[in-house]
Parts: sequence; C-alpha cells; structure tokens
Amino acid sequence: MPQQRLATGTSFIGTFVLMSIALAALFVIDTFLARIERAEDRAGAMRLLAEGHRLMQDGHYAEAAERFKDAVAVERDNRDYRLALAEALLAAKSFPEAESTLNELLQRDSTDGDANLMMARVMVGEMRIPEGVSFYHRAIYGRWNTNAAQNRLRVRYELIDLLARQNDKEELLAELLPLQEEAPDDVKTRKRIGQLFLSAGSSARAADVFQGILRRDPQDPDVYAGLGEAEFARGNYPAARSNFLEASRLKPGDKAVEDNIRKRLELSEQIMTLDPTRRGLPANERYRRSLKLVALALDEINRCLPTPALPSAQDVLDAASKALKARLVESRQNAVTDANLDLAEQLWQIRSKHCGSAVPASGDALPLVLAKIDQ
Amino acid sequence: MLLRLKKLLDRLRQNENQLTIVLSLMIGALVGLVIVAFILLTGRLAARMYPPDGAGWHRILLPTLGSLVTGYLLWRYFPLARGSGIPQTKFALFVNEGRISFRTVLGKFFCCSASLASGIALGREGPSAHIGAGLASVIARRLGLSQERVKALVPVGCSAALAAAFNTPIAGVLFSLEEVMGDLHASVLGTAVLSSATSWMVLHLVLGDDPLFHVSGYKLVHPSELGIYAVLGVVGGVGSVAFVKLLLGLRLWFMRLPKWSVWLQPAIGGLSVGVMGYFVPEVMGVGYNYVEKVLNGDMVLKIVALLAILKIVATAVSYSSGNAGGIFGPSLFIGAMMGAAVGSVAHHFLPGYTAGPGAYALVGMGTAFAGIVRTPMTSVIMIFEMTRDYTIIVPLMISNLIAFFISQRLQREPIYEALAQQDGVHLPTAESRSDHGRLRVAQVMRAAPLVLAPEMSVSSAMAQISGDRLVGTPLDAWPVAEGRELQGMIQESQLKEAASKGDAVKTIGEIANLGLHHHGDAQDFPHVHSDHTLSVALERMGTTKLHVLPVVSRANVRHLLGIVVLGDVLEAYGVGRLSTTQEYAE
Repeated sequence: MPQQRLATGTSFIGTFVLMSIALAALFVIDTFLARIERAEDRAGAMRLLAEGHRLMQDGHYAEAAERFKDAVAVERDNRDYRLALAEALLAAKSFPEAESTLNELLQRDSTDGDANLMMARVMVGEMRIPEGVSFYHRAIYGRWNTNAAQNRLRVRYELIDLLARQNDKEELLAELLPLQEEAPDDVKTRKRIGQLFLSAGSSARAADVFQGILRRDPQDPDVYAGLGEAEFARGNYPAARSNFLEASRLKPGDKAVEDNIRKRLELSEQIMTLDPTRRGLPANERYRRSLKLVALALDEINRCLPTPALPSAQDVLDAASKALKARLVESRQNAVTDANLDLAEQLWQIRSKHCGSAVPASGDALPLVLAKIDQ
Repeated sequence: MLLRLKKLLDRLRQNENQLTIVLSLMIGALVGLVIVAFILLTGRLAARMYPPDGAGWHRILLPTLGSLVTGYLLWRYFPLARGSGIPQTKFALFVNEGRISFRTVLGKFFCCSASLASGIALGREGPSAHIGAGLASVIARRLGLSQERVKALVPVGCSAALAAAFNTPIAGVLFSLEEVMGDLHASVLGTAVLSSATSWMVLHLVLGDDPLFHVSGYKLVHPSELGIYAVLGVVGGVGSVAFVKLLLGLRLWFMRLPKWSVWLQPAIGGLSVGVMGYFVPEVMGVGYNYVEKVLNGDMVLKIVALLAILKIVATAVSYSSGNAGGIFGPSLFIGAMMGAAVGSVAHHFLPGYTAGPGAYALVGMGTAFAGIVRTPMTSVIMIFEMTRDYTIIVPLMISNLIAFFISQRLQREPIYEALAQQDGVHLPTAESRSDHGRLRVAQVMRAAPLVLAPEMSVSSAMAQISGDRLVGTPLDAWPVAEGRELQGMIQESQLKEAASKGDAVKTIGEIANLGLHHHGDAQDFPHVHSDHTLSVALERMGTTKLHVLPVVSRANVRHLLGIVVLGDVLEAYGVGRLSTTQEYAE
C-alpha cells in the first residue's frame, strides 16, 4: 500500500471536528428553514382552499378546481384538499380528472367513505352506473370520520334515488329492505320509504308502511294518497278508490293532488266496471264484461295491425270475431266467459308484439284489467 | 470519551480503506445538507422575488439587477464559479488533479442562489454537483490525502449532490460515473453509492419523502403509441440539438465581446429573460412547478409550445452570457414542454390510441435530457426516480435512444466537452476514456514462426534462429515450449552470451531462467492475452525489455496462442515499421 502523506494528527482530527460542527450547524439551519417553509406553505394552501370554496359557492367550478389543485400541490398528503378538488372537478364535469384524483385517495385508503361516495358520483356522471352502484356500496360500508350512521343513510338514499331513476326495481328493493331498519322512525322518512317501495314495485310493502303511518297519524292526506297508489298497484281498486277519496277529503284545496286523485279515481272506476274477476258479479255480468274485453282488445289490434292481418295473428282474430257474433247457451256461460278472457289475453299479446307498448286508445284500464286477469 | 474518539480517528488515519468509507459517509451527509440549504434558499427567495401575479416591471428589473450583481461578483471574486459546474468539475478531475477551491464552492453557492432567486432561467442541479465535488475536494485536501484519493472523492461529492438536488440517489451515482468519470465501471462506484445514499437520507430527514414531480399513473394505451413516442424522440433530438447549437453559438458571440465587458455580459442575459418574463412569467427561474402542471396535463398546446421555444432561448442566453446556473433543470423543462406539445397533437387526432399530454411530457423530459446532456442511462433512471412511475419506462427508453442518436449525429461534440473547448480546455471525451474501439492484441497477433525446446542446445538454437531470420520477420526473442506447454521466452542476447562463454553445448533450459514452470508462479511471467489492448502490450514490452511477447490463453497460461511483435503494434497505430529489431534497441 503506498504511504500517504496525511495531515498531522492535530490537523486531521481538527478537520473531522470542523466537519462535525458544520454538519450539526447545517442540520439546525436546514431544519429551521424547512419548518418555516412548511408553515408558509400550509398557510398558503389554506388560503387557496378558502378561495376555492368561495369560487365553488359562486358556481365557478373550473376556477375553484385550479385553486384546489394549487393547494394540493403544496400539501399533497392532505386528504381534504384532494376531496375538495375532486368535488370541484365533479361539479365542473371534468370526470376523468376527478376520477384520477379520487383514485389517488382510494389507493391510500380504499375504505374512505367520502372518496367512495365522490367516486360513485363520478361514475354516475360518466354513465358507468354498475360501477357507480358498486362505489355507493363501498361508501355505505366504508369508514366515515364523523356522523357515520347519518352519512351511511344519506349515501343509501342517494343510491336509492339513482336506482329509482334507473327503474332498477330489483336493486332498489334490495336497498330499501335494510333502509327500512336503519332509517329513523319519523313520519317524513316513513312516507319517503313507502313511496320508494312503490317505485320498486313492492306495493304490498308500501301499503304496510302507509298503514303503519296511518296508525300514528290518521289525518295525513299524502299517506292516504300513497296507500291508494299501493292498493291500486295491487289491483285492489275499491280500497284504492276509498283511500283516494279520503285523501281528497283531507286536502281539498290542492289542485295538483286533486287532479292526480281524480285521474286515479276515474281509472279505478273504469277498471271496476271492466273487471270480470271482481267478487260478487253474477255470471251474465262476467260474461258481458268478458265480451267487452275481447271487443276492446280487437279494436286496439285493428288500429295498428295492417290489413290483411299477419298470418300468425289471423286465427286469433277470426276466433275473436266469431266469439263476438256467437249466441250464448246459458249452460255454457262460465266456460265461454273463461274462453273469452283467454282470447282477450291472446289478442293483447298480439297487440303488444306487433304494436308496441303505446298507451291504448281506450285508456289505461284495459291493460291493467288484463294484467290482473293474467295474475 | 474524547480520548477514545481521538484514538479512533488516529486508527482511521492509518487505514486508507476505512478512511475512504467514513469520508464517503461524511461527505454524503455534509453535501446533502448543503444542497438542501441551497434548494430551500433558492426556492424561498424565488417565490418571494417574482411571484407570477407580481408587477410586470418587477419581472424585468429583478433578473437584470440580479445578474448585474452576480456578474460583478463572478468576475471580481469567483471567476471559476460561472456556468453550470459540470465542465468545471470535469476540468478539476482530469486536468487540475481534483482541486476545487473553497472560494469557488462559496462563490457557486451564493452567486447561484442569487441568480436563480432573481429569475435567471437556469437550473440548480449542475451547480449543486460542482458544490458537492468542491466540498469533497476541499475536505480531502485538508486531510492531506494523496492526489489519487482527492480525485477519487470528487465524483463521490458529485453523486451526493445530485442525489439531493434531484432526489434521485441512483441517477446521482450513474451521472457521476457516466458523464463525469466517463466509465460506468469506475472503481469509485462503491463510495459514490455510499455518499449518494447518505445524502438522500439527509434530504428525506429534512424535507420528507416527496418525489421531485408528482405524476398521475400513466400507461401505454395502445402498442401503436410507441410510434408516437418515437416521433417524440425525433422532435426531442432535433430540439436538443437546436438548444445546444444556439447556446454554443451565443456563447462564442459573447466571448468575442471586449474583455472589459465580461462582468456586464450576464446582465444582457438577465434583461433578455426579464423581457420574456414580462409577457410570459412561466419562463423565469427553474420552473419546476410548471413542469409538474404540464406533467399532470394542466396546460394547453399553445402555451406548452410557446414555453418550449422561449425556454430554449432564455436558457441559452442566460448561460452563454456567463450567469451562474445549470442546464439540467431547463433541459427537463424544455423536454416536458416539447413532450406535451407532441402529446397534445397526438391525443387530438388519435384520442383512443394515445395517453394524455402528461405522459408525453414525462417521456419528453428524459428525451431532452438524453439529447442535451447525452447520458441516456442516467436520463432513464432519473425520470423513473423523479416520478416513481415505472409504467412509462419502455416508451422512455425508445424515445431517449432516438434523441440520443439524433443528437450525436447532428452535434458531434457533447455539450460539456464543447463548452470546455470554447474555453481552450480539451477534456477527455467518453470515447477517449473508454476501452471501446481501441486496438487489441488479437488484431496484430501472429503464429510463432519458431518455437524452441528447453532441451535444445544453445548452438542448435542459434542455427535454427539464423535459418528463421532468412525467411521471416527478424525477432529478438522466441518462445520456449515443451510439447505444447510454454516455458518462457529466450532472447537472442542470452544465447549469444552463452555461446561466447563457451556454453554452446548447454541446453536452453540450463542457461535461462525461463520463468514459467509447471508448478511455479505464472503471475510475473511476461505475456499478454488476445483481448488486451495494444497499449497494455506496449507497456509490458517496455517493462520486460522484450520486443516480442507470447500471447497465451486466459484459461491456461501455458497454452501458447501466438506472439505479438513490437513492429506489428507500431504498424497498427500507423507508425512506420522499423527494418530490424536491432533498430528498436538503438
């Protein structure tokens, strides 16, 4: 090993001592400077956040997003800044950007309730409904720093509203069942749940909810109207009619409600005069109504089918014409009535197949009666 | 306690290897802390001095005044602290025996802080490397280390500085080896890694764990996108060459100005940047916050294209006028803007097949760095470390190599060598420092025309040599082999001496110590291998005083492959062949 001409012992040690002092001094200076910088940065970011919120309130979402972005650039780890940014981007309809912002948050904590809720809204905004529903679920079962129960309920309502808009009855019902347990037991919430059960097509549950409310408050016209709708949907037209009448009686001045109730009443009346399955009808009246149904259904078909009729439908049409002209033998009245009802259903199926689901010229009563018979 | 410490230091003083390791750690920590202070100072001052929403005239006045003051200081007190610091570090390493004065380190720190804080469009990383290398040099010399040790510690300081300045510990080491040393296998690798890691640790301790740039996760959208990244490589390569040529051309122009104006020249750069900054504030300073914006796709095509052009001009004029500051940071800025411009166009026309402009800005940074600084390996690793985004690495490599290739074609001299040449200094190029492309023994090796046996008598050996001389190239030494196994070399002078002493009947084995025996140590035996460079062969010929060396196998040193002759070596270098071996001796 070549011999070095190293500094003398004192100078050698002195250099190390100097280096150590310099290290300590620099560490103190750097830490001090870094602390000042951090404090200033934090204050600057807070200013930007406040400015962003103000812009959001004024509806300047894109500008607000810029402020929030600057705040995030200063304090990257601040979750609230990122959430505010995502919210602004969402409001500005910058969905991809909002998504990437939220992705970063969710990478850090995939159970973050706020971030999942925001992501669900982004997905809905991008019309990615199944993914949106999935994020709503994550938000419901996720972690909330404050008011967890209230927030979860709020998210579930938001999801339910989405499902109702999408007319996804099955999913809607699935969400409503737990909601019935979780939601507070006040009249307003119960009324909303009842309406939502109606939207989900679960009229029996809706009727239960409304009846439950009526036990506590028998003077609420909205509840009677809701119960009327539920009974109507169940095909229980007399009960529907009496509930509608009660709602109308309790809230006489409301024109919109009255109009709605009047329409429902009229429809109920029509159905009741057309329905051959109503209890207590004499056989000849059942027969007459069955003939009426065949006539109405045939009339609907003739409105939309080309003449001559399609070969596949011709046999049924011929049978209907024959049934309308046939003379009744009293002993066979019940059998003929049943055959007529079958024929009316077949005619309606042909009509649905070839003419679509347009509202019939005769009104909504005919399809509702036929649906009831089908049940 | 103190006594024990003193003993420890005394022991350290006696052990060179331990001392080097301890010094690497201490230099790493010290340089790291100095660079952190440098970053904090320049960043804080810049944010206060020229906020983007500040008055326009402020943006003209500040860089002009700043460069005027630093220009005077550089001219009067710190003439070696001008420019980026990389050519100066290389100069210290290859020309000045590793010497960088403490005054230069101080000058670099304060002048750069002032000029960067005033908005000059230069970077802080090159100066950081100079400061780091300078501190290492100062410490090593103060400790009285040998020149070789001082030189070995210069890249150690340099890598520590870059690790802290860019927050890139691996790229810091790579750059020191690839660009400063010009040798990726340099022996300082271990110590450079140590200092770089220490410096990086210090940075994290003080400033926290944040990459230089935060980037959304980008990925390759479609395989055909690689074609667009190749286009970016071309654009980046051409842009890099334009930048380098403009910078060198302007510098030459400034150098031709009268000597007395040297201290005033930086102010011209400052004023130019100020005027540009008046209209486009983003062009001032290092501009990393704008790089981050463009990396996240937050800037529009018109702005990024304009910024790419303005930054090229601003940096070229700032640097060439003699301000203190580097070109690393501006390279990244220019690259990011060029990349975003290409990405915006591509995404506009092929939205389903391409990522957003941010991904291209990311690749563009590496592309410009590879094109301007010409360190393709470092640039790939650096971008990866800066962004911690691995997904973009393949496009980055493609784009980088294309830019590197174009830059090499259109601008033969790398920027740092060209800058040094303008100053009248001829730094060794990477090529000249590497073994690659050098002539090797295999190219001039020939079969041995005559192999003597150890049991052969001196007289018959001399007879054979005379016969051989009539037909072939005259030699002054011959291999002696038993069967196929080489025993050593015998010189003609040894045979003649034995004959004159009356030992003509003796065998060659008896008169000569052949050096290579079956069980002997073969290390000192004169020989070369076919993959040795000719310079090694020449060195060994000089040491052994032989003009002929045996070429032996690396697997079996006794296996003779051929011989290499001095005349052939000289001829390979283009030097005329001498007529006889005697003439070599003369």
